[in-house]
Amino acid sequence: MTVTFTFLDWLWVVLFLLLMLGSGILFYRLGKRSESDFFLAGRGLPWWLPASSVYATHTATDTPMWITGVIYKNGMAGIWYTFFCGWAAISAFVSTRIFRRSLAYTQAEWNVVRFTGLGSELLRGWMAGWQFFMNMFVLGWVGIAMGRICEYLFAWPIWIGLIVFSLVCAVYVLAAGYWGVVMADFQQGIIAFLVIIIVSVWGIHTAGGPNGIIEKLEILGELDRMNPFAFTGWWSGDFPIAWFITMMLIAFLGGFGMGTTIDWYVEAQRIQSAKTVRDASYSIWWGTILGLIRNSVWAVAILAFFVLFPNITEPSEYEMGWFRLGFDYLPAGMLGFFFAAILAIHLSTISSHLNLGALYATRDLYQHYVNPQASQKRLVQVGRISTGILLLGSFFYGLIMEDITSWLIFALWIMAAGIWLPNILQVIWWRFNAWGYLSSWIANLGFSWLVVWILPELNVIPNLLDYQQFWILMILGALVYFPVTLLTKSEPMDHLVHYYVMSRPIGWWKPVREEAMRRGLILTNGDTASGAEQASRPLDTYPSI
Amino acid sequence: IGMTIAYAASFLGLILAYRAWHG
Repeated sequence: MTVTFTFLDWLWVVLFLLLMLGSGILFYRLGKRSESDFFLAGRGLPWWLPASSVYATHTATDTPMWITGVIYKNGMAGIWYTFFCGWAAISAFVSTRIFRRSLAYTQAEWNVVRFTGLGSELLRGWMAGWQFFMNMFVLGWVGIAMGRICEYLFAWPIWIGLIVFSLVCAVYVLAAGYWGVVMADFQQGIIAFLVIIIVSVWGIHTAGGPNGIIEKLEILGELDRMNPFAFTGWWSGDFPIAWFITMMLIAFLGGFGMGTTIDWYVEAQRIQSAKTVRDASYSIWWGTILGLIRNSVWAVAILAFFVLFPNITEPSEYEMGWFRLGFDYLPAGMLGFFFAAILAIHLSTISSHLNLGALYATRDLYQHYVNPQASQKRLVQVGRISTGILLLGSFFYGLIMEDITSWLIFALWIMAAGIWLPNILQVIWWRFNAWGYLSSWIANLGFSWLVVWILPELNVIPNLLDYQQFWILMILGALVYFPVTLLTKSEPMDHLVHYYVMSRPIGWWKPVREEAMRRGLILTNGDTASGAEQASRPLDTYPSI
Repeated sequence: IGMTIAYAASFLGLILAYRAWHG
């Protein structure tokens, strides 16, 4: 299909792009004041701004594609694929609060707040490098999705959608940093949410409304698609109960940790930009609930698409289903408005990852390791240069994306399996130390290659389902990092007491809490004594940025 | 190429940390 735009359609698009560029120019003066402004908006935001940024960032152009894919293929049961973000409902009141109180700019920096010594520094450097690259290829991933949409709609070459809109986005990210990101995200989030509702309701109406959809499913003999619990047995098939239990575990226990899904790294920046701990909690909770509401509206719209076009077998074709509902059925003049909303969905994701990747390069790699005495002006300059490097790198990744998809999926999701439990242990268990955590990362790198690629290739083990890989990698990793943790010394008590007083973690922290109470830093009623954070600071000459 | 860039970035971070590294 190709879509023909009228003058009115292009007018919508141009007005929208001008609005986005305007927000960058408007906040230029605020963004360039300091590193804290360029990356965290000076930690002064009320909860609804980072909340809209959480929602807008996690609504990307590829999101309606993959959600359409799982719902079209599996019916309503497919919605559980999207439920991993349920971790944020718990995290908002657990790890979000602990992280905000730590004052770490990034998850990489958090390693040197929670741990100390060489192990913690190696963790910080490793994680910052890994996240710089991770943001680069997430940018390539969503960039090429936009390229595909433009190819589908206008028959443009794929590189146009990849490059042109990211360049527009880079203008306001380079100008105003996180101030530009979060202010544009707020507008983009509202536009995206409204248009997702309008297009979905329009599609449902076209298919005859909810009753019409149910009648048509009955005629097709596909009424089972209405059942979100249409399991295919305990262990096998497309939707086994064991897979569902694994997903629930990831969703609910993940909220006790940090980094248990890749979304955490984006959330961490929003958490630190909120002006208080309470604002941070609200921003993560509300940002995620908006995403879950969005998913459920999409799911019904995809069922509508299914009864309109029930016989599509090619995934790349049915994945465009939600976009087709809009472009096939919306009245003329609204098409440009819909495309402007797709741009809003796209730019909000691109802008966040550009700024976040630059934060790791500037704060963790440049300032902490290369030039601890750098001026604020210099840091903003480095932030802009690393934003540019990320942008260029993402174009490269976008253009080779077709060829590296299977490795990418491996790197994104399977890599997270072996470090899922350590990511929780670092928050809830005082004895877990830097060497234990570092060994879990290294072990996971080796084990995930073995279990996913090498051993199946050598016919030593069969190709396993994703949930089976998750459990095996979790157990294999534990066989390494538990002994390493227990055979190496715990973090120094002075450091742990300072961390405890500052972050007030939950879980198994009794020896540290008792020591903090003995020193009079925690009162008998559990409150932190006034001035305790300063008083407990260990004598530490290593640069504390 | 994609993997080399990924691991190079990670190991660059690791090396920077070690180089920078009695309190």
